[in-house]
Amino acid sequence: MSWREAFRLSQVAFAELSFQAVYAFRQGNVLPSGNSGLLSARARRRVLQSKLVISAVLSLLTVGAAAVLHQRSLNPEILAAVPTGLFQAAILTGLFSLDIALLWWTGVQVVPTLISSGVLTVLEPLPIDRRTLEQVSTVLYLRLFDLPALTILIATPIMVGFALGPISGLAALPGAVAVVAYALALSLLTGRFFLRRVQGSRGGGGRAVVRWAYLVLWLIPAFAMFAFITVAPAFFRALAVLALQGPSFDSGLLAVAFPFSFATLPPIAAGGPASLVILSPALLLPLAVALAVYGGLAVWSIVWLSGSVRTLLFLPVRAPVDLENRLPALRPTGRARSVLTKDLRIASRTPGYAFLILLPILDAGALGLLTYASPAANPAAASLALGAVTTAALLATFFGPAFFAIEVVAYSYGRSLPLSNRSVVFGKVALVCLMYLVAAALIVGFSVLRFLHPFTFVAFVLAELPAVLAGAFLELGLLFRWARRRGLAITSLYAGAWFAVLVSVPGLIVAGTPPLLYDLFNGSGTELGLTIMALIAVAELALAFPVALGRGAS
Amino acid sequence: MESAPTDANGVPLALAGLSVSYGERPAVQGLTLTVHRGEIYGLLGSNGAGKTSTIKSIVGLVRPVAGEVHVFGLDALRDSLAVKARIGYVPETSMLYEALTPREFLEFVASVRQLDGPTATRRMQNYAEAFRLTTELEEPISALSNGTRQKVLIIAALLHAPPLLVLDEPLNSLDPRSVRIMKDVLVRYVASGGRGVLFSTHTMEVAEQLCQRVGILDRGVLRGEGTLATLRERVAEGDASLEQIFLRLTEEDAGVQAAVNALGEPSV
Repeated sequence: MSWREAFRLSQVAFAELSFQAVYAFRQGNVLPSGNSGLLSARARRRVLQSKLVISAVLSLLTVGAAAVLHQRSLNPEILAAVPTGLFQAAILTGLFSLDIALLWWTGVQVVPTLISSGVLTVLEPLPIDRRTLEQVSTVLYLRLFDLPALTILIATPIMVGFALGPISGLAALPGAVAVVAYALALSLLTGRFFLRRVQGSRGGGGRAVVRWAYLVLWLIPAFAMFAFITVAPAFFRALAVLALQGPSFDSGLLAVAFPFSFATLPPIAAGGPASLVILSPALLLPLAVALAVYGGLAVWSIVWLSGSVRTLLFLPVRAPVDLENRLPALRPTGRARSVLTKDLRIASRTPGYAFLILLPILDAGALGLLTYASPAANPAAASLALGAVTTAALLATFFGPAFFAIEVVAYSYGRSLPLSNRSVVFGKVALVCLMYLVAAALIVGFSVLRFLHPFTFVAFVLAELPAVLAGAFLELGLLFRWARRRGLAITSLYAGAWFAVLVSVPGLIVAGTPPLLYDLFNGSGTELGLTIMALIAVAELALAFPVALGRGAS
Repeated sequence: MESAPTDANGVPLALAGLSVSYGERPAVQGLTLTVHRGEIYGLLGSNGAGKTSTIKSIVGLVRPVAGEVHVFGLDALRDSLAVKARIGYVPETSMLYEALTPREFLEFVASVRQLDGPTATRRMQNYAEAFRLTTELEEPISALSNGTRQKVLIIAALLHAPPLLVLDEPLNSLDPRSVRIMKDVLVRYVASGGRGVLFSTHTMEVAEQLCQRVGILDRGVLRGEGTLATLRERVAEGDASLEQIFLRLTEEDAGVQAAVNALGEPSV
């Protein structure tokens, strides 16, 4: 068999992968009614749309970086302090960092889907030789990244060439190749770790900590853009200091670091090593060695990828089993609490679900840090902290429908249990509440450390809490009413995604109104603002509660 | 074995004129049957006969378009939670929370069913030992074989010692040892009185061994019902096997022969 045959087989496997990714049929989801050919075409279209969106973001980043390189439209103070070549290398370092973060982030999201779809398990028993199966796995894996990876490989040299000249454009290509190779290898490695230690993790408290730690790491690439924007001014200031020093040990360390080393190539091609100011002839040798090592690692990554995808992703994986034969005990809890515990356990092995829970918390952590780093005298910092609490409330509320959807997508068994909608709603609202409180506690922690004004922040958090509960009750109550009207105890997200999205709007309005009123009345006194905020939030809760739990809802 | 429930009214299960449709396609049409106390009732039928649709409408997964479902006198539509509390259900496909371990899943089921810790633990450990589930209790369900998943579902159905068991092809994927254990569990289960079992299968031997009465479902319609002896009388063959009765009642005996003949000699 040949690569051509492998490509042909991968076409079939990829169609199945798209189908499973969109409809989660193998996870027990009910297919929407309609012609199966049309459903399959729709699934392929949606996967293509997702790839196009990621590629568009990558293109925008590249075009944006090229525009900055071309016009040098940045802060004039920075431009005055950082030499041209060094500035260009810094911009390209940012571009490469964002490219690898975005591609890796894509990978860690789609690889679990690839695994759970089970597409290759259909091919394994067929009379296809091992080599071809490996090739099919590799082609299938590469097809997950095809458009985004091609965007990086093609757009980067073209846009850098447009900004700095064709030779510089060509010099940007090794960096783009390394970025793609590393991102694909990292996605595969983290996918493997995910299989063994997260999705395949056995029960127990210690292992749950490892799973959540991985999931936090998994989210970090998503925050790369945010973090990059945050640290960019400090990075340029550090470069200005290095430029003043001239070639030094520190600048040597920077030169051999990835991806800065690759980012030096286009400015060197355009203006020679001297244009970077921080590079002396003596530092060119370590730079060349670093480039050779990184290049070799990229080539090795590509070779490794071509032979490892099947072994790492598709062959059965079992976490090491300790052969203790002691049977565990069961510790039943209340119904609503059991829904909350179940959701947290599922989330700890399901990145997509964990993402929804961790996003408001990580966002709160980042905003809290930003508040902490702001000058104490700056009143905007206090507003930022209160704004961060509001953001946490809005984010936590926004994901209510998603928690409902995750409950319903695959798990029809739950419907055969004597579990009332009321218990499910309480469990989901408790999850939203928990997310909000953890996120708010982070912000309060940073704010207290910085401003030592705990009362305002704690009062703001508590005044907003009823509004968060009201938003969550309202959204989940409407969803359950809708599901009941359609004659289904629970239903498929794909059968009515529009409603799940639409229902977020009243939830966001409910959660967002009290902070808005606080902002309006704060000028007349913080106490007045907080009192009005709390009163409105409690009133909202009183109105939303019957919608969720009243007659006809549960 | 746990003592039989004493608070239950009426028969374990009574279906009256049950009809289920998927859009325009009828799956079950006017099905009426009763499962008595102390009885294992076998629901027989080919693939697509309507067995699973019937069972799903009993446990509340499918809303019937007509008819009534009563469990110990309770209306399954009006008192759905009370009915679900009295049923132990094993689905045809292993619809489980893939990201949980069996222990976590059973803990969730025990919580929903409001069992106390020691009782739930004792029952879980008894059944886990019987089915030789030990290390698998702490592995994610997604990593388990179909047979092991089936054992987990059976334990979940038995965990609250329900007065009615509704089992959809429960022996599928089980190893011979576990099949034997499951059969004995069911026989002892109904022997204690008061309980009932509805058991769907297309394996005639199992139905013949286990069930006091069987109902033969064909394209959504009940073609025959009763003990083996009654059904033999009906087809007027004193020594007919259940398989022969089934084929006769579903008018498939001639069709089967024609299909075999049409296949001809197996090609090499």
